[in-house]
Amino acid sequence: MSTDWLSSALVFGLFEVVMYIGMGFLLHMQLGLAGIGNFGVVGFWGLGMYAYGIIYGGHAPSGTDLIIDIPWPFGDPWQAIASVILATLVAGLGGLLIGWIISGMDLDGQLVGTFGFAAIVFLLARSQKGLTGSEGGIGGLDFPYDIGSEKANAMLWLLVASAIVIAIGYYTWRVHRSPYGRLLIATGQNEPLARSLGKPSNLTKLWMFTVTSAGMGLLGAMFAVIVHFLTPLKLGVDVTLAVIVALILGGAARVWGPVIGVLLTVGLFEIVVQLYAPFPDSWYRQAMPVVKQIIYGMSLIVVLMYRPLGILGDMRRDKLMRSIHGD
Amino acid sequence: MVTEATDTVAATRSRIQIQGAAKSFSGRTVVDIDDLTLGEYPVEGLIGPNGAGKTTLMRMIMHSTKLDRGTVTLVRPDGDDRGDVVLSELPTYAMAGLGVVKTNQVIMDFEKLTMWDSMLLSVAKPKQELPFKIFAEAPLFAEHEEEMRHYLDFFSLTDPADQAGSAGEKKLLDIVRCLLLKPSFLLLDEPTAGLPDDLTEKVMEAIRLLAASGTSVVVVEHDLNVIWNLSDQVHFMAEGSVILQGTPEEIRRHETVVEKYLGEGHVGG
Repeated sequence: MSTDWLSSALVFGLFEVVMYIGMGFLLHMQLGLAGIGNFGVVGFWGLGMYAYGIIYGGHAPSGTDLIIDIPWPFGDPWQAIASVILATLVAGLGGLLIGWIISGMDLDGQLVGTFGFAAIVFLLARSQKGLTGSEGGIGGLDFPYDIGSEKANAMLWLLVASAIVIAIGYYTWRVHRSPYGRLLIATGQNEPLARSLGKPSNLTKLWMFTVTSAGMGLLGAMFAVIVHFLTPLKLGVDVTLAVIVALILGGAARVWGPVIGVLLTVGLFEIVVQLYAPFPDSWYRQAMPVVKQIIYGMSLIVVLMYRPLGILGDMRRDKLMRSIHGD
Repeated sequence: MVTEATDTVAATRSRIQIQGAAKSFSGRTVVDIDDLTLGEYPVEGLIGPNGAGKTTLMRMIMHSTKLDRGTVTLVRPDGDDRGDVVLSELPTYAMAGLGVVKTNQVIMDFEKLTMWDSMLLSVAKPKQELPFKIFAEAPLFAEHEEEMRHYLDFFSLTDPADQAGSAGEKKLLDIVRCLLLKPSFLLLDEPTAGLPDDLTEKVMEAIRLLAASGTSVVVVEHDLNVIWNLSDQVHFMAEGSVILQGTPEEIRRHETVVEKYLGEGHVGG
């Protein structure tokens, strides 16, 4: 089957859509189920991304090694796989630390705390030259295999990332239908009542936040491979905003919310507008990123005003319970 | 005879021992109890005027309100070798696991959860709620369906796949959640408030059955007919302390209680 129609730009656009859907699923579990606010999604994603670059053995653009240089006893693909796993664990540790700090806070405190964490990750990426390459970034990150062309390699990596995100989506879907999902919802809805029923609400939130933050780090590590080169510019707040806008637009309490939301925002802009809209090139370089942020922001305002629960609306436990248990 | 210290009937039930426990808010002492044991009788009533400290005492027992000083201890029945547990050193969520459970005075519910959800939340054990137990719903439901349906029928709760709608349904659901936890010591804070007479009767019947099965029950209730009809022992609380203890008959005839709290309407018959 010919894949000529599938340009490298389209593959990258699809990869971004897949990344955002994955992060949307994870944020859905945090915010939509357990009621934990996370305004630092990019921090965990970026931590995974940079941790991968550092652990894998990326180097500064000048070719000089970073401070951390692990002498891997084996090469790719195991080196990349081990690096992805370790990067995921690093992001999980970040989630554990931040989760421990914010687990007793109200929503406002959680948003500020996680935003602060993302700012710290950004500042570390920008300032620690020996560790992160600073503004120069980290290069030398290639696919852990070579099946021919760059496009073919990217397509295979897209398939791997898609499989991971589908697995995250399936897990999220199952969580809604499990006692664990009910525990998360109960904890998010009424913590004192959940505690009175014997549920350790803080511990529940802490573990959930740790695991989902690790998931965000996993996606960040996947992204590091396809972009090959990491700079602090990739850790902008626009990533967090895009995930939050997409989730709220689609419906924060629904499994399919992030999918619908991401397709209508990131998908529309990164694929349809960027690749197929007949605008002059200069627009794409200068105006389009700003226009994108403006439209994201306006979409959020309109949705919050007229459909605050998103396009798909609120969760319907009644329908779910009827489908599972009858009556 | 009304006494200031309760005679022990039999230590066949779980009891709560409160010693030297005090709680103040903004410098005002709300509860100050030297030595009190609850649960020596199957059903005990805790009464007193508004502001006497009843609800605060219950919250102190559950450790949802921290004590300024003193201890609250769960005393196991004779023959139970698990040992006594100092509840006031434990987090709130640990109480249910020890069998110490309390219903809520104000109506509390999980807004988005259905009645099935609420009941399944109560019966689920920690190991069934682990993040990787994503296929545990069906076995959990099968394991507890019979007892859940029993309570639904008992309290005439219909359509459990929907949320509890009325205040009465939410109140009953709160009680059902607690009953499904199989408490060894149950505190009921105004369990019949706002309920119609027929459901009040149902709640009282449920309490009697529970007490007969070995659970210690303590009821705080402003509807004194519930207290007189249910209780084997009554504690009268005023200004943060339990000042009188006795049978319902003894308490309702006591001069101080009549004068300060009951009025003449509750004396006699």
